[in-house]
Amino acid sequence: MSSSHETYQCKGCTPGDFEGEAVVSNQPFGFWQGIDPGTGGVIDKRHELCGATLKDKVFVFPYGRGSTGTPGIFLEAVRNKCAPGAIVNVTSEPMIVMCALLAEAFFNVRIPIVDGLGGNPRDLFRTGDRVRVNGTTGALELLARG
Amino acid sequence: MHLTDEEKRILDGAFGEPQRIALNVLSKLGEAYGADRMIEIASAHIVACSYQIAGEAGIEIYSKLVEQGARVKVRTTSDPGSIDFARWRAFRTPTEYAERQIKIAELLGKLGVIPTWTCTPYTTFNVPKFGEHLGWSESSAVVFANSVIGARTNRLAAYIDVCAALVGKVPRFGLHLPERRRGEVLFELAPDLADDFEDHFFPVLGYLVGQTVGDRIPVISGIGRATFDQLKAFGAASAASGSVALYHIVGITPEARTLEEAFGGRAPAEHIAVGRAEIDRTLEQMSTGKADAVDVIGLGCPHASIDQLRRYAALLEGKRVHSGTELWICANTVVEEMARKMGYVDTIEAAGAKLLVGTCHNDCPLGAWNFRRLATDSGKFAYYTPTTVGTECIFTSTEACIEAALTGRVARP
Repeated sequence: MSSSHETYQCKGCTPGDFEGEAVVSNQPFGFWQGIDPGTGGVIDKRHELCGATLKDKVFVFPYGRGSTGTPGIFLEAVRNKCAPGAIVNVTSEPMIVMCALLAEAFFNVRIPIVDGLGGNPRDLFRTGDRVRVNGTTGALELLARG
Repeated sequence: MHLTDEEKRILDGAFGEPQRIALNVLSKLGEAYGADRMIEIASAHIVACSYQIAGEAGIEIYSKLVEQGARVKVRTTSDPGSIDFARWRAFRTPTEYAERQIKIAELLGKLGVIPTWTCTPYTTFNVPKFGEHLGWSESSAVVFANSVIGARTNRLAAYIDVCAALVGKVPRFGLHLPERRRGEVLFELAPDLADDFEDHFFPVLGYLVGQTVGDRIPVISGIGRATFDQLKAFGAASAASGSVALYHIVGITPEARTLEEAFGGRAPAEHIAVGRAEIDRTLEQMSTGKADAVDVIGLGCPHASIDQLRRYAALLEGKRVHSGTELWICANTVVEEMARKMGYVDTIEAAGAKLLVGTCHNDCPLGAWNFRRLATDSGKFAYYTPTTVGTECIFTSTEACIEAALTGRVARP
């Protein structure tokens, strides 16, 4: 891991502070039919991350897609301790924000979300980078290249 | 966001833990989306009621709410469950799975939810009126309530809908605001297409519109007439392939008596011409499989109306579904009961077709059937079943679906 440090100012959508390894995609993502809530693994065969795990990762992707059932699957993953630790979006759709609000309300788990990432996720981050997300201030830090 | 004194007391816990949690989530949602205040809703419709969606997390959440004495504050209906409560064994649902769904049903009953188990609550006891504010989820019901009835609801998510039901309020933003209900993108039908607009073109056009607009508000001009069922099919397809929560059809839906009204006097941000070529191209995209043997047909997505059950019964009268092919028609118990009284159910069952009640192909586990190819007349099924059921899917007209059930073979339209 090479040392590197950059800070991006994003918009904080849901509070919390999390540091972890990034999983990065330029494709939008739907948790409903997209993730196995028992493992945190990506199961959407049409998605480039299929086979990767989101468990305890900083999940960086452009925006969420999805059915109104999305929090059902998301909270199941939270309950199983298999949800992402933080989410970074270019634009966060209401469904994703609702997932994090519900995770805190019903399972006392904070999943910081920031959006307003200024560029394509993969132009800024690589899977394996060490990243810190502050959903309260909107600060997004690249701590080290993976 | 402004909160009333009573709302502040709810947040302080004066009305108990469920109310506090629910309003806390809703007010944060409101703050995230620039709501100025909370507004009262006439009803709620909740989607986190199938075991497939709610899972063990849902059982945990509802058990806690029931323990804490929670009750819904407004009329609240349930979306489809993951089993046909009367016939799950015949549909080969694993017993342990069915038991978890029955557990959810018991818990929702204690919360005061009306067990409609349907994506078309507006055909039962949850009929909104024009201009009324609602807290609904279920994308196909949201788009129907907003567009066809002119009620006002955002596309709520699972559990947010429960929060709305518990408090009887939602944050006021998005589609609750008149100025956010105006059309944005105009779809103009070519006159030759409009003159000969077939029944199954409604879900095709919905699919095309959803793919094109995402979550913007489409306006369609050039359609002369549309039935309740056609509007239901159009909206469901648009809400599946995109995230359409409101559409306007000029001269047909209530907030679009004229083109000017549909756009609120502003010019469309985009014009899109739709001719027969666009319909044919979308039709092509809606099928993933080859024309060939078919093992299951799915009708009634969204849940069939009484008119649709009459139509299916007429098409099946005196006929016999091909052996080795399953024809399942999804409906809710209210419509089923009426159809039974009318004799439609007898006709349908005599032909060897089945009513799948309170759930659908998308919501219940079908692993035991090993289906390989599904045919449907629903744009929403066409979008989801390749993933949910894991089959190839052929989209075609209602008549061609029934024909496929009788012959065991389906043709691509």
